[in-house]
Amino acid sequence: MEQKNPFQSDEDVVALIRAGDIDLFGVLIHRYKEKMVRYARKFLSDNEDINDIIQEIFIKAYVNIQSFDTNRKFSSWLYRIAHNELVNVLKKRRGRTLPLFDLDVFLPYELHDNSLGQEINRQDMQKMIDNCLDKLEPKYREPIILYYLEDLPYKEIADIMRIPISTVGIRIKRAKKIMRSIFEKLGYKLER
Amino acid sequence: MNNQEVKNSIAEKVLNKIKSGQINMKPKAYFVLKTVLFVLGVITVALFILYLISFIAFSLRASGVMFLPGFGFRGVGIFLTSMPWLLILVAVLLIVVLEILVKHFAFSYRRPILYSIIAIIVLVFLGSFIINKTQFHPDLFQRAREGRLPLAGEFYRDFGVPKFQNVHRGVVSEVIDNGFRIETPNKEILEVIVDSETRFPFGTGIKESDTVVVLGERNNGTVQASGVSKIDDNFKIFKQDRPSKPRNMLIPHRMPIMPDR
Repeated sequence: MEQKNPFQSDEDVVALIRAGDIDLFGVLIHRYKEKMVRYARKFLSDNEDINDIIQEIFIKAYVNIQSFDTNRKFSSWLYRIAHNELVNVLKKRRGRTLPLFDLDVFLPYELHDNSLGQEINRQDMQKMIDNCLDKLEPKYREPIILYYLEDLPYKEIADIMRIPISTVGIRIKRAKKIMRSIFEKLGYKLER
Repeated sequence: MNNQEVKNSIAEKVLNKIKSGQINMKPKAYFVLKTVLFVLGVITVALFILYLISFIAFSLRASGVMFLPGFGFRGVGIFLTSMPWLLILVAVLLIVVLEILVKHFAFSYRRPILYSIIAIIVLVFLGSFIINKTQFHPDLFQRAREGRLPLAGEFYRDFGVPKFQNVHRGVVSEVIDNGFRIETPNKEILEVIVDSETRFPFGTGIKESDTVVVLGERNNGTVQASGVSKIDDNFKIFKQDRPSKPRNMLIPHRMPIMPDR
């Protein structure tokens, strides 16, 4: 399926699907199923649940594809659907709603640069994520995954989570701090 | 099933559902209509807040409550108890609703909530200020009083110029021996009794056709004034505030002349 349109952008493929070439939806599934499974796996552990949710994400994407603005990135739009699905599943599982008010999104923060530099190297970050991610609250876990594992910029993460861009930066900064402390309590040492 | 098989089965199942017609794309018109309705909803809520806040300002001004802090601590106390808190609560709730609606737009959610709330409040107050520079509310109130405002008539009659036991706004219709008479926006004539205890925070030169706010307990048609303030309200709220013919100024011969405090 992918060979059929290897060079077309996601947005071009969407335009063709809208025009009636529904087979091309398979191209989008092929391009994103791996990423979606990886993303869902960070929040859910049961394979069957993951399977169901990924199906639901792609079905919702197809049903609502006419609402996608082709001037924006398809990946952000798809991650937004995935985010909503995962939030709903987590809400049902925990039987509680997400807090109505969060100071993180209310107050302005300085835009924090979390790009990997001398502070933590990429291997350390990978180790920290592998060992500590499940111990983070979802509100911290999600930006970490999207930024370090999916390589998305702040603006796209803000669009997916519908939170201010500066909040993305501050949550990643806090998540790194929490992970570092958990990581060191577990007896690991960070290379500096 | 290994990971690869799981992923292939997902693709297969979704594509099968699409091809078999089990799931269908929603048409573009559906989303266009949804967006139009949403934007109309946002505009409606915004206009309603604008209307409500400008109405509250009109009501405070028309009843004279807005001028009470000029009477000192007692005035501030009555000012706080005379505020239309129910309308203020509704306005605050609507601002919260508007904030939630506006958060659907990227220009809003990409910035902290504090910024959008400040922007909404500034715009609403600015808009209300502009509305209050026009005859919009006074004309509607006038029509309500004359029974020519079918839907909002009752609202204007109930909340437009509320009657308070302690605060009275009106136009001086006659200066009498022990005070003066005023005509209120509700077309009532009140006799205001002034004595040596009456405070005049902004001067004593009260004359016919002045607009005044009187602080004092009402007893039937008489008010024992503890404070009288002439208000320089350029905005003529009621028809009787707008002089129809020039009147002779009367000098109140027996009006107690108190030094400005």
